[in-house]
Amino acid sequence: MSENTPVSPWLDSTQKPYIQIENVTKKFGDFTAIDNLTLDIYKNEFFSLLGPSGCGKTTLLRMLAGFEKITNGKILLDGEDISEIPPHLRPINMMFQSYALFPHMTVEKNIAFGLKQDKMPENLINQRVEEMLELVELTDFAKRKPNQLSGGQSQRVALARSLAKRPKLLLLDEPLGALDKRLREQTQFELMDIQEKLKVTFVIVTHDQEEAMTVSSRIGVMDSGNLIQVATPAEIYEAPINKDVADFIGDVNLFKGIYKGQNEIGTQLLSDDSNSIVYATQKVDAAIGNQLWFALRPEKLEISKRLPKNEHNILKGTIEDIAYGGSFSTYHVKLQNGTILKAIRANRERTKEHHLTWGDEVFLQWAPHSAVVLLS
Amino acid sequence: MNRKEIQIPNFLKKAFSGRNAVISIPYIWLLVLFLLPFIFVLKISLAEPILAIPPYTSFFKWGESWLPTIQASLDSYLFLFSDSLYINAYLSSLKIAIISTILTLIIGYAIAYSVAKAPTRWRGVLLMLVILPFWTSFLIRVYAWIGILKTEGLLNLALISIGIIDKPLTIMNTDLAVYIGIVYSYLPFMILPLYANLEKMDMSLLEAAADLGCRPLKTFWTVTIPLSLPGILAGCFLVFIPVMGEFVIPDLLGGTNTLMIGKVLWTEFFYNRDWPVASAVAIILLALLVVPIMFYQKSQEKASHEKVWQLQYLCLSRRIFISVYSYYSTDIV
Repeated sequence: MSENTPVSPWLDSTQKPYIQIENVTKKFGDFTAIDNLTLDIYKNEFFSLLGPSGCGKTTLLRMLAGFEKITNGKILLDGEDISEIPPHLRPINMMFQSYALFPHMTVEKNIAFGLKQDKMPENLINQRVEEMLELVELTDFAKRKPNQLSGGQSQRVALARSLAKRPKLLLLDEPLGALDKRLREQTQFELMDIQEKLKVTFVIVTHDQEEAMTVSSRIGVMDSGNLIQVATPAEIYEAPINKDVADFIGDVNLFKGIYKGQNEIGTQLLSDDSNSIVYATQKVDAAIGNQLWFALRPEKLEISKRLPKNEHNILKGTIEDIAYGGSFSTYHVKLQNGTILKAIRANRERTKEHHLTWGDEVFLQWAPHSAVVLLS
Repeated sequence: MNRKEIQIPNFLKKAFSGRNAVISIPYIWLLVLFLLPFIFVLKISLAEPILAIPPYTSFFKWGESWLPTIQASLDSYLFLFSDSLYINAYLSSLKIAIISTILTLIIGYAIAYSVAKAPTRWRGVLLMLVILPFWTSFLIRVYAWIGILKTEGLLNLALISIGIIDKPLTIMNTDLAVYIGIVYSYLPFMILPLYANLEKMDMSLLEAAADLGCRPLKTFWTVTIPLSLPGILAGCFLVFIPVMGEFVIPDLLGGTNTLMIGKVLWTEFFYNRDWPVASAVAIILLALLVVPIMFYQKSQEKASHEKVWQLQYLCLSRRIFISVYSYYSTDIV
């Protein structure tokens, strides 16, 4: 990021948002796809819209591109209201989920297409196309037609084409959805590099939470037309706003229980599942007797055969299932009352000495600051 | 004693496999119903006219020796080139076929495009309306146009009663009537392949063009038209090829000076009873049509790696067959 842009512009009240989505509503007949949504995105951000299919994230992206008319509200880009501007006049480009490469044009013609619409001089077009081909490492494929390209190559042509016009804002609709896992991971880093190199603001739509976590500066979690939480990937993961977000992003153990008040350790919860008092450092604003949830990520649960030294947050159970993942293993531990908790342990040793196996009696333990208290 | 098993040679086994039997059915069909009649026509075109039944000399003449002598002459062909009537008729057919193909393309494209872009639940109905006229005989539909276009016909009556014109227009028995008849009759052949193509078109391509700054009209020319080229080609050939030899429409709607090779062929055959010249006219017409068909095939081969195009080609050959078939069956009437 450039020096004059802070790392977290959204925390700095003097920073002006680049894209302002103000009270936007989109209706298809009776169906409300986007419900009075307000969101600010800052310059040079890599913003992800994340959510299950049908949550309205693609509709929001298509409204930014101009393909869907806004029912209510407005969208500002760099201070200018673009709500009524047709797509071909917006300084915004989009990378389509299907890539939408023109099948009758070569790779270079595809990339040059947008530049030609701007009546750019021929030599400058050629120069820019060359530059874009270099950026996505496809110089040798300039003369190929889209049907002669692999999925990964098509994806890079689509990216080059959407970036060729140096848009103020690039929209990416599930850009890596069609790639296999390995290629996807590699391309995620390429996307981040390109974004930093060209200093273009990216808004990406994805249903893949790992992808969103990897690439984003911030994530907006959406559900049924609403933004549930907007925060950095780490905040979303470590401090989800409710149990839906906690559940959607990564794996989580959720304890339902009754709020029993605070003591010197922290919030006390009488857990339904473990039938014991569990503690979290986080303070909550709730009345005693209210229903609360504790969210606990599996990697924050310590699993061992020996009884831990500390006195609280200890649960006893037996290992029901083990998913060996190479670098780590996921243990499904069944508590006495039948609840199953997930715990992740890194496989640090190659020997079998400390191995846990099916049917072992184990203790689960966690630090009070590892748990998140959720009100809903 | 060793009993020797009768070995069926491998090539024979292969030749009579079930797979080949299935494949051979269309070939036998083509051989019997297309190649054989063609050979007959070719044979007649090389004969000379005589007053007899049949009215042409036979191809083989049985003489003294045990082998027959062949009597063939190119007189009929030479005759076609000596009289400017035939060349003019070919050229006039070509002109009418080209102009009506272009007219059909413009109208057909507009219809196919709007059907393809209509809401899904309407498409079936609209397409049905396009095909509906086929439920009536081609000949009756052309006769119906006489009722519409003639001096005291529906069109003139309507225009006069509205007050647009005072005197009836002379449309009947002119080239204009022929164009109207041809465009009307062949429109479905243009619409169907175009629709099949346009309906499959990826809408996101049009959005991508808009996204990259292309105005809607320019998108139509730079994206929609090039991508629908297979459909345009298929539709144009389906119209152009049968219109070249069209007989019924110019005969019923055209005037005395509407010159088309189909009419000339009819006259030679039924009025002049000159079967060899009539056959020569048919053979030359076929030879002229083989050229565009081959061009089309070549353009398909170039793009044959694209599955869609291959499919289009299959549809085309099927439709050519249907159109040729319906064309001949109505001609016999």
